[in-house]
Amino acid sequence: MEDFELLRHITIGQYLPGDSLIHRLDPRTKISVFLFITVAVTFSISYAANIILVLVTLFLVLLSSISMRYILSGLKPALPLIIVLAILQLLFYGDAYTPYGMASRTLFQWGWINITNGSVQLVIVSAMRFIELLFLTSLLTNATTLTDITHGIENMLQPFSKIGVPANELALVVTIALRFVPLLAEQLEIIMKAQASRGADIASKGKLQFVTTSRQVAALIVPLFIDAFRRGEDLILAMQARCYIGGRGRSSFVHLKFARMDYAAYALGLIFSVAMLVFRNHFPF
Amino acid sequence: MSEDPFIQICDLHHNYLRDTPLEVTALRGVNMEIYKGESVGIIGRTGAGKSTVVQHFNGLIRPREPGQVIVDRQDLNDPNVDIRRIRQKIGLVFQYPEQQLFERLVGDDIAFGPKKLGLEQAERRERVKWAMEMVGLDFEEFKDRFTFSLSGGELRKAALAGVMALQPEMLILDESTSGVDPRSRKELLGRLLTLHKEHGLTLVFVSPNMEDMAGLVDRIYVMDDGRTVMNGTTRKIFSQPEKLREYGLGVPQVTEVIHELIARDVKVEHIPVTVEEGVEEVWKILNS
Repeated sequence: MEDFELLRHITIGQYLPGDSLIHRLDPRTKISVFLFITVAVTFSISYAANIILVLVTLFLVLLSSISMRYILSGLKPALPLIIVLAILQLLFYGDAYTPYGMASRTLFQWGWINITNGSVQLVIVSAMRFIELLFLTSLLTNATTLTDITHGIENMLQPFSKIGVPANELALVVTIALRFVPLLAEQLEIIMKAQASRGADIASKGKLQFVTTSRQVAALIVPLFIDAFRRGEDLILAMQARCYIGGRGRSSFVHLKFARMDYAAYALGLIFSVAMLVFRNHFPF
Repeated sequence: MSEDPFIQICDLHHNYLRDTPLEVTALRGVNMEIYKGESVGIIGRTGAGKSTVVQHFNGLIRPREPGQVIVDRQDLNDPNVDIRRIRQKIGLVFQYPEQQLFERLVGDDIAFGPKKLGLEQAERRERVKWAMEMVGLDFEEFKDRFTFSLSGGELRKAALAGVMALQPEMLILDESTSGVDPRSRKELLGRLLTLHKEHGLTLVFVSPNMEDMAGLVDRIYVMDDGRTVMNGTTRKIFSQPEKLREYGLGVPQVTEVIHELIARDVKVEHIPVTVEEGVEEVWKILNS
């Protein structure tokens, strides 16, 4: 049975009101710590490092009191892609990848398929990294309002405006991009419903389903883009009508201020990530 | 009308964003029965759940236990029901019809439904022509126009034509004629009522505005906060302005005027619903 309510499956970018420690942190702290840990995740290739990272991000999720089920449900739409990627890595990466902390050894060979302990490690570590990044992104976007994220980014980029970085514009771009995700999902829902109402069989089963599916996707994407451009134009008009200029000389309604908690979180995040980087080649397994 | 209802809805509940922390309740107990050949209105203020209900009519939203939706004797709780046939019988024009067009050319957009029905080229053309005339768009002038070049009112007409081209047995208009200029609107509704009277097209109008309903519908369901709270003939519903006001609704201005006159001890025989009836009634009062 088809389900047209796409927003139910988009969890990233959806702010959930709350009053947890994570919610109360300054957006700049959250964005910085998010970036620090993301770097740590990117450079961690061993089992041990990733176990630590999964536990740390899990702890942060528990601290934010955001429902774990909600965060994990965001994984559902991406799951088929992840599984296909994992299978490809498992089957074809054996020769190309030297495992961390052990000698390369073939576990299974058949024709040109060569599964080594390296490809097994790659698959497992990739899955763990995926979870870590999902947790981190959900934490940042589910516990921070879009306005806060914007102000945070703008504020953090401000020092670079002296060398010509358009801080305000960049922050605006990020905000609009994030804001458009649920809007596009809503619009897609309307187009799907309109087509289904007029006899298109969306999500029906049958032979060669992927052929019909991809044809349907094309029929959805074009009107979706046209609508996105139209919305973009409307937005430009609305901003011009209110004399939006942004940037220099514009005062702000929100004034961000670091509290003691923020210094602590910032320091902890930085120390943790640096430690993970420094010791990345010293983990036992 | 002793036969089975065309659409029967029992104890329908619906939550948007189900299973997420952002879950909102839209319907909390809706009961409705609509028979073939009727013209029914669904009114309620914004957020009362009107659009959510009508999306159940053609299976865009499927009912969840214990709610039940039966359309043309088929239970929509059953996942094996042939939903495409139901959607062909029940045409739904959305609240923002201008978002409903998805093809590049107006003609292609209206032909989408007939094409999905597997009609031949010639027949498809006939259907498109018929549907465009129905809504008051000139076939030759508009069929090769780009959809994005249309005005708001024209877009609404084109969207309606796209649904009419399926030749449904029931047509649901979810505030779809607002934004169409008064003359086109009158012509359009006139043609729909002709279809209703001569060919038995079942009509469902959804609107927060009483003025839209008067003279169009035989029966009205009033919704408030996700529930059906009143139902009855148009006249019966409009004779209870105090109760309607409780639900944030009003009665047509003519009806309001007569109610005010009654309150000032003027003797009135019938409660008018349309302007024509109102004129008659006032004329009688003036002459007595």
